[in-house]
Amino acid sequence: MRIRWTLSVLGHLLFIVFFLGIWEAASRSSLLDPTFFGRPSGILSYLWKGLIVDRTLWNELGYTLLAAAISFLGGSIAAVVTGLLFSVLPRLHRAAEPYLTLLNAMPRIALAPLFLLWFGLGIGSKIAVGASLSFFIVLSATVAGIRGVNSDHLTLSKALGATQRQIFFKVTLPSAIPVVFSGLRLGLVYSLLGVVGAELIAAEHGLGQTLAYLQSTFSMDGVMAILLLLAGLGLGVTTLMNRLERALLVWQ
Amino acid sequence: MVTMTAIRSTPAIEDRPPAVIDIRELEVRFGPASGSSLLAVDRVAFSIAQGEFVSLVGPSGCGKTTILNLLTGLLQAEVSGDMTVLGKPPKAGNPDIAYMLARDSLLPWRTALGNVEYGMEIRDVPKSVREQRAMELLREVGLGDFANAYPKALSHGMRQRCALARTFALESSVFLMDEPFGALDAQTKLTLEDVLMRLWSSHRKTVVFVTHDLAEAIALSDRVIVMSARPGRIVRDVPIPLPRPRDVRALQKDPHFHELYAQLWALLEYGATDK
Repeated sequence: MRIRWTLSVLGHLLFIVFFLGIWEAASRSSLLDPTFFGRPSGILSYLWKGLIVDRTLWNELGYTLLAAAISFLGGSIAAVVTGLLFSVLPRLHRAAEPYLTLLNAMPRIALAPLFLLWFGLGIGSKIAVGASLSFFIVLSATVAGIRGVNSDHLTLSKALGATQRQIFFKVTLPSAIPVVFSGLRLGLVYSLLGVVGAELIAAEHGLGQTLAYLQSTFSMDGVMAILLLLAGLGLGVTTLMNRLERALLVWQ
Repeated sequence: MVTMTAIRSTPAIEDRPPAVIDIRELEVRFGPASGSSLLAVDRVAFSIAQGEFVSLVGPSGCGKTTILNLLTGLLQAEVSGDMTVLGKPPKAGNPDIAYMLARDSLLPWRTALGNVEYGMEIRDVPKSVREQRAMELLREVGLGDFANAYPKALSHGMRQRCALARTFALESSVFLMDEPFGALDAQTKLTLEDVLMRLWSSHRKTVVFVTHDLAEAIALSDRVIVMSARPGRIVRDVPIPLPRPRDVRALQKDPHFHELYAQLWALLEYGATDK
């Protein structure tokens, strides 16, 4: 087991070194134009400078993460509350559904210019875009989770004489949690996406703003470095949520 | 088959103890209230005494589950006739009744112990009592070592043992069981039937057991009520004089058991074709 794991890690390392080596060599000969594609050594030196020497990237990273965290928390808390309210008031749900579907069908990133106007160039507009994405994802997961409650559990509970309140807290809610959780995981990724997207359009800070600036100044090494950073961030966020889910839902 | 035409439900015996479940002239219709409604149960009458184990068997759609669900008070249907449980009309959540379904319906986020406690929790049994009683019952069904296991870690048979423990932990006097072993393989089923027989002999509950498995009905019951295809009528109410305590596995080789099986099988076939 241990040996196989080591071999697999070695394989991946070998592949990455090989891939970067080809890229580097191609960009040093005339095969690949570094103005368009950057080169690995340049990307590494950009990251080294930004993260370790003058540490300017941390500041941008912080803005993006803060906006993503606030938009995720705000959006998903509102969504869970709304979802629970819908389960208690199915009439309200039926009445609100067409409007929600309409809103959700709107490409949210296209709302960014509007949000920029309303909430300014700062973090407010970024939070608004991120939250508008995560809200709908978590809301539909919450509604699906509550709808997906096992009818046998309901029959059994009713036969036992459970009250509506008991059924809600002892059956409906716990059975909805795994579905809500997968919505939360997706919602977090989309919050990040919304924030970076809004930063790309117009911002004072953040990784998205940095990316837009680097792209407009044709610093491809920097663009590639930020993309790498964003991918790493997305991966980290998903891994964190998976760990949390496994720790919280041991029964699954 | 000529003698079959004379079959009626057995007449009530006068010196029986007062009935725990009493059903008279029960008729159930489904669908629109006008003439086009479907007659599901037709003039069914039987009564069950304290501590009796009675099975309802019949082809699917004969209304056996309908009768059981009416007794739990969960089913709302157009009903005529009379139906009482311990002298009262059926009511959902009646603490005198413990209900068990075909699927174990264990809550996956609760451990085996938590699941056995669930029913008692809904019925407001104090925490200390229910923990102790749940543990005792888990031991009785052979799951003493699995108290802290989640349902996903248990086999089908173990899950149904756990459901049995949950049902018996309620200490209700009337048990309504709807094909509780219907989803199990043949071997596991026999084992679970034995577990049920052991629990039943030590707790002595009144049981109405719905099944379509004749062998199961005979092995467990004091009486087997055979019903016809829709509209469900009682073909015959057959006493099962096999001595107790019974060993379900040993019974499989008992000639008397096989005679009863053949007799009931004929009744069941007769009921299925009586149109």
